[in-house]
Amino acid sequence: MKAQSALEFVAEARTGRIDLEENTHKILDKVFASEKYNFFNSVSKDLALHQAKELNAKVKSGKASGKLFGLPVSVKDCICVKGIESRAGSRILSGYLPVFDATVIAKAKAEGAIIIGKTSQDEFGFGTFSANAGLGFKVPKNPLDFERACGGSSGGSAGMTAFADFPHVSISESTGGSIACPASFCGVAGFTPTYGLVSRYGLIDYANSLDKIGSMGKTVSESSLLLEAIAGHDEKDSTSLNEKISFSPAKSPSAKGMKIGVIKEFFGQGINSGVSRIAWDSIKKLEKEGAKIREISLPLNAKYAIPAYYIIAMAESSTNLAKYCGMRYGAHESLSGSFNEYFSKVRSCNFGEEAKRRILLGTFARMSGFRDAYYLRAMKARTRLINEFKTAFKDFDVLVNPTMPVPAPKFSEIEKLSPIQQYAMDLCTVPANLAGLPHISINAGLLQKMPVGIMFTAGHLQEERLVQAASALEALK
Amino acid sequence: MTEQKIMVKPFEALADARFQKPWEKIMIGLECHVQLNTDSKLFCSCPAGKETEEPNTACCEVCLGMPGSKPALNKKALDYALKVALALNCNINEKFFFSRKTYFYPDMSKNFQITQYEIPVGENGFIELQGGKKIRIRRIHLEEDPAALIHESGLLSSNYCLVDYNRSGIPLIEVVTEPDMASPQEAREFLDQLTMFLSYLDVFDFENGTLKADCNLSVVGNERAEIKNVTGKKSVEKALEFEAKRQLELVKQGKQIVRETRGFDEKTLSTKSLRKKESEEDYGYITDTDLAAVVLSKKEIDAIRKSLPELHSDKAKRLAKEFGLSDYDAKVIAGSRFLSELFEEFAKSSSAKTANFFVSGIFVSIAHHDNKEPEELSSMLDVSQLKELLSLFEKGKINEKALKEAAIAHITKSKNPLDFIRENGLFKEASSGEIEKIVERALAANPKAVADLKTGNEKSLNFLVGLAMRESKGKAEPREIKRIIEEKIK
Repeated sequence: MKAQSALEFVAEARTGRIDLEENTHKILDKVFASEKYNFFNSVSKDLALHQAKELNAKVKSGKASGKLFGLPVSVKDCICVKGIESRAGSRILSGYLPVFDATVIAKAKAEGAIIIGKTSQDEFGFGTFSANAGLGFKVPKNPLDFERACGGSSGGSAGMTAFADFPHVSISESTGGSIACPASFCGVAGFTPTYGLVSRYGLIDYANSLDKIGSMGKTVSESSLLLEAIAGHDEKDSTSLNEKISFSPAKSPSAKGMKIGVIKEFFGQGINSGVSRIAWDSIKKLEKEGAKIREISLPLNAKYAIPAYYIIAMAESSTNLAKYCGMRYGAHESLSGSFNEYFSKVRSCNFGEEAKRRILLGTFARMSGFRDAYYLRAMKARTRLINEFKTAFKDFDVLVNPTMPVPAPKFSEIEKLSPIQQYAMDLCTVPANLAGLPHISINAGLLQKMPVGIMFTAGHLQEERLVQAASALEALK
Repeated sequence: MTEQKIMVKPFEALADARFQKPWEKIMIGLECHVQLNTDSKLFCSCPAGKETEEPNTACCEVCLGMPGSKPALNKKALDYALKVALALNCNINEKFFFSRKTYFYPDMSKNFQITQYEIPVGENGFIELQGGKKIRIRRIHLEEDPAALIHESGLLSSNYCLVDYNRSGIPLIEVVTEPDMASPQEAREFLDQLTMFLSYLDVFDFENGTLKADCNLSVVGNERAEIKNVTGKKSVEKALEFEAKRQLELVKQGKQIVRETRGFDEKTLSTKSLRKKESEEDYGYITDTDLAAVVLSKKEIDAIRKSLPELHSDKAKRLAKEFGLSDYDAKVIAGSRFLSELFEEFAKSSSAKTANFFVSGIFVSIAHHDNKEPEELSSMLDVSQLKELLSLFEKGKINEKALKEAAIAHITKSKNPLDFIRENGLFKEASSGEIEKIVERALAANPKAVADLKTGNEKSLNFLVGLAMRESKGKAEPREIKRIIEEKIK
């Protein structure tokens, strides 16, 4: 029997036919049973049961409403939930209990979401496989193959979304591809919105000009249901857009007449041929349905997006991570020495290796003498790369490419990759992220039993086109 | 390097531009940090100006730099910064953004300060000193104040320090000058002018706000030293006086001046080396992309320009013209928005002469006696009570001395000035007839003094006035007595 979708579940929960406390208990049991996969950094059992009880009471008093009513929602660890330990996967944030809800959490709660826990990730989002877990954290395992990675950095969110045999969606976050990548590796839908469409207030920063909170679900409609609930203007985030856009899945999804651009560079060198083939198969299906398919070249993005992205992301993250010094929250060490010595001790003992690497590289890129050559040049390159996309969107509704160059790799393979080789894995996801463009990754098929993702990218605030294209493809499966 | 011990005599000619020899020319540049008196902080809605209250009661996740929190710009602070920049003749940048200045220090909630780097609010302005000299202003930018560090048993002996975040995030403007000031006195005059602007624009709390400056001083042709974080105008002048003397002495001895950062000790009025500066500190500035760039239209800038109040130079001219004040008195009164408003208020119920006498004579000298800016006394005044006091004076019911004493009692002890007059029997009881009798008695008893006076001896006049004053128990006016004596002797 096909599992109930999140939308069907919410509709039923609002009628009162589901006892939400009982259901939440059941789901928490399943969450605890999934422990060996390490999808969660913490499970918010008390909060979830408390919310379920309140929602049950609402049903009784006839006030059951909300787009996410009673729906179990997991949240990436880097998003603050009031009173729930929020560590962004880092030991340096041990014991940090936010005194406030991130705006997305407040919105989700207001829509009736039940927050079940904080999902595992690369420390502060610094990785492509969730294998750069912070000190003392466990690496999430792919639910389809225990030997393989979930992808990153929103690995726990994608793993749980694929694993759950009950209605569930996940609030995740992408800086350079951290939603699309794990969605691709786990075979779920990962929706990254236009930069600014979803408030970042309450997000533990990786790189402020790149971070976007988004959503995951088993299907396009589930991920857009969640994204619609958490999007919207927020005066507490000054980069938040004051735009109202529609995510509503088209009633009869059709690609007919859509102008789809196939990004040539992302089907060539460095891309697994099996992955290319599966992505092309999907594109052909859309063409059959009446989509107008044409190849397009994005040479600047193919060449410069990765270096520009990593310089900007690391420069910004090195300042974001400066605040962690064991003074106000998070990990503390025994007090001794000058403040400098103390701060160094706290940071040396509690940041993982990749975090330290990015602090060092990011600090270097913004020091005087190097700032012009690296940070400022990367910022200029970014403008050029955005313009290349803007030109492309004059001719196309959406662009398409395989999400990741490979299916989920084995941990043994990841260990052999150098940092540069790992960064190169983000080739296809980084350009859209650097340009702040909305994109969605959905499953296109299996390669040796592992999912292969296909990614659609649209112009700023054109989320509706993504829903249209991705739903059309989903309907053809 | 051990510190050179140099005796400093304040106000010594050496540090005065007028007496400098060509090789003794000094250059001073200031970076002034002014707290703005907005209701809330620069990037959150916490109340500002709660630094003297219970520590850590005016802070939130934003000004504590908690993970996940984000800054949102206080429009009012921006408005204030624009007003100052416009009043100081700056060019306003139509688009600017904020940057992160990263350095590790316990008073920094995020270990970076949100400030402006590439493009400030305003650039290339100036302040004109009384003599007409223009001190160029390089830039004015907006930034956040760090938290306050409290070393309970003193900076050096405390082995811990406490942090109060009530100050964290209070809006500051930094006014950076070119090195155009040639003496500590000029630097002081610059600051006096700057505070006049702040007073007229009503962007600074003179009672509780702080004005700090980093003072750069060099003897022409030599390296410069920076005296960090000097609080208050008087201290800036003192620190610069010491530093000018110290550097000039070194130059005189043929010694090299080292590029360094120095601190100012309020107690000894001396500066001492904090750290050597081989090169500029590297703060690794990058754009703070949590804050959207500010984009202003010409129209918005013009609207703020038009909203600027009448500033002190215009006001001085108007007061001189409208109330017949001397240029000097008009400048003193217009030198502070508060004084000028007080004057104009008193001039409604009293003559301009009386109002001027009270404001620029009595009130200003009380403030100076207490080492305060007139603004700092504003909360002590009950204007309606003082108006009644002035009216008593104008009607001749009390003399100058009584006016002054009652004013002091009112300002320093919150005493109702009318009660003070009554309780101390300061109403003039002596009628002119009685005074005349007292004077006649004094003249009759001192024929020698009278004779001397007739030959033009001023001393005997003072002697006779004194006698008559004592006789009247201070209730007669010396001027009145003098007039009667002169009449009698004619």
